[in-house]
Amino acid sequence: MLSRPARKQINDFLQFFLILSAAVFIMIPIYWIISGAFKQQVDIFQLKLLFTPTLENFKIIFKSPYNLLDKLYNSTVVAFSTVVVAIPLATIAAYSFSRFRLTGERIMFVMILSTQFVPAVVIVLPFFILFRDLGILDTKLSLVLVNLSLIMPFAIWMIKGFIDGIPLDTEEAALVDGSNRIQVIKNVVLPMALPGVITAAIFCFILAWNEFLFAVIITTNKAVTMPVGLSMFHAEEGVLWHLISAAGIMIMLPMFVLATLIQKHFVQGMTMGAVR
Amino acid sequence: MKLENISKSWGNVTAVKNISLTIQDQEFLVLLGPSGCGKTTTMRMIAGLEEPSKGNIFIGEKRVNDELPKDRDVAMVFQNYGLYPHMSVYENIRYPLKVRKVPKSLHENLVRKTAQKVELEDMLNRRPRELSGGQRQRVALARAIVRAPTVFLMDEPLSNLDAKLRVNMRAELKHLQHELKITTIYVTHDQIEAMTLADRVAVMDHGIISQLDSPEKIYNDPANLFVAGFIGSPSMNLVKGELKEGIFKHSNFSVKVGLKECSEATLGVRPEDLELTNPENAVCSGRVYSFELTGESTLVTIQFEEDRLTVRGHNKYRVKIDEIVGVNIFPEKCYIFETETQQRLRR
Repeated sequence: MLSRPARKQINDFLQFFLILSAAVFIMIPIYWIISGAFKQQVDIFQLKLLFTPTLENFKIIFKSPYNLLDKLYNSTVVAFSTVVVAIPLATIAAYSFSRFRLTGERIMFVMILSTQFVPAVVIVLPFFILFRDLGILDTKLSLVLVNLSLIMPFAIWMIKGFIDGIPLDTEEAALVDGSNRIQVIKNVVLPMALPGVITAAIFCFILAWNEFLFAVIITTNKAVTMPVGLSMFHAEEGVLWHLISAAGIMIMLPMFVLATLIQKHFVQGMTMGAVR
Repeated sequence: MKLENISKSWGNVTAVKNISLTIQDQEFLVLLGPSGCGKTTTMRMIAGLEEPSKGNIFIGEKRVNDELPKDRDVAMVFQNYGLYPHMSVYENIRYPLKVRKVPKSLHENLVRKTAQKVELEDMLNRRPRELSGGQRQRVALARAIVRAPTVFLMDEPLSNLDAKLRVNMRAELKHLQHELKITTIYVTHDQIEAMTLADRVAVMDHGIISQLDSPEKIYNDPANLFVAGFIGSPSMNLVKGELKEGIFKHSNFSVKVGLKECSEATLGVRPEDLELTNPENAVCSGRVYSFELTGESTLVTIQFEEDRLTVRGHNKYRVKIDEIVGVNIFPEKCYIFETETQQRLRR
């Protein structure tokens, strides 16, 4: 029978090993992309761990024919516009669902959520036909519209959860103190729900930024976004993994920067939703 | 303020049934009752947070049924304080002035004077999470009084405080209301708060007002069984029996009360109005079920077959469980109620 200190040591080692394994499992693809972005193509196929890094890949992807800067611009505008439109509307909708007793509210809420269960591949063609008839194919507007339809239900559901956690007393106190409903939302609800709203905004931005299926169908040239742009990196010699890796870093980098800047609100938002 | 035949229902559930009430200027009225009696719903209708299903509410001469809460010139203190956690104490107190567009030049002076009244002048920069329960309560009070409303509404404001702090805050509330001379409606389930604070108490039960009177009359002259049993700690002893030829007859004792006949009657007598004595000299005797030393007295519960009586004795009185003791019942201290209608029978 092992002594208590020995058992504790074994437990600690096992925990460390499991955590390390999980971390390695998660980090290997990230490492692969980062290292690949600074390698020459031949170094990637040779699976070299030690190599001479180069910045040449980053120069190539921003030049013709790839013109990644245009795609970066499109992705930024589309994702940013989606969030700017979605979050205020979702907040108002979430507040209404949370605070007002509406006729058929349960059915409405279920219907809104149920749009999330429809596979994207089922509705991509109707969207294509609709945008073609409206003459807005291959435009950033079409991408924003399609992203809104995908993201709004999720944003409403998420923000409603945070608003549900705000004590009713606080709002009623504001009403009695002299606020109208809009002032209550602006002065009381929004500041208190801000971590949750920011969390929802981050998730929505990430979803819009990474959206591929609708973008690849609806765009051809002018409104192509970064995820679709990745599919261009192939040539006669095969898939250009070094360029894909460099472009992959350009896709991931804004997300890392965003998450670092608002990490405090993000963590608070996630934990606030968990503990009520 | 006047409530005229106010009712509130949600579907088949009626929380408030046809309440009519007139509250005088500067009066401190307490709505007292157990959970679910409709007292908070009544207050919320006055505040405008609930719409009456029927009836009218007047503040002054003005009918306010259709007015928003912000237009009724009432201020409310909530059970959970309702403070704005993202604002400092200063900003919390200032908020009503800000949204009501009181000139900015007046804000600082008004806030500081109000903070002084509730002894919070050193805490204006703190956030609510940095305050104790009593301090938060005072911030809520300050926010209510800063704009000198027509009516104060207080919904169980002391219920989240510990017993000692509750006693202190009660005294402060009473003093503040007297100093500010503002009509106050106070909701509580705590009868001690009602008795100590109120000019009048409206005892509520199942959506109706059982009795509306001064605290003294509520205690000494209960109108029905509910009020008699609800008011008093420990509560009034209530035993069922029969009233015949002016005598209340119980299986263990009889008391001459001089009232008209009633086949089913209930006798009520307060613990402090009974006297412990030797079984030989007593009106009735029974076995000691339990006794409690409260410090200022001894509470002895005595079992009489299927009934029990609680007697408040001297704090030096000692007795053993299962010991036989006698109890004297004085007719002039007894209350008789008709069991079926629950109403008090009077001489």
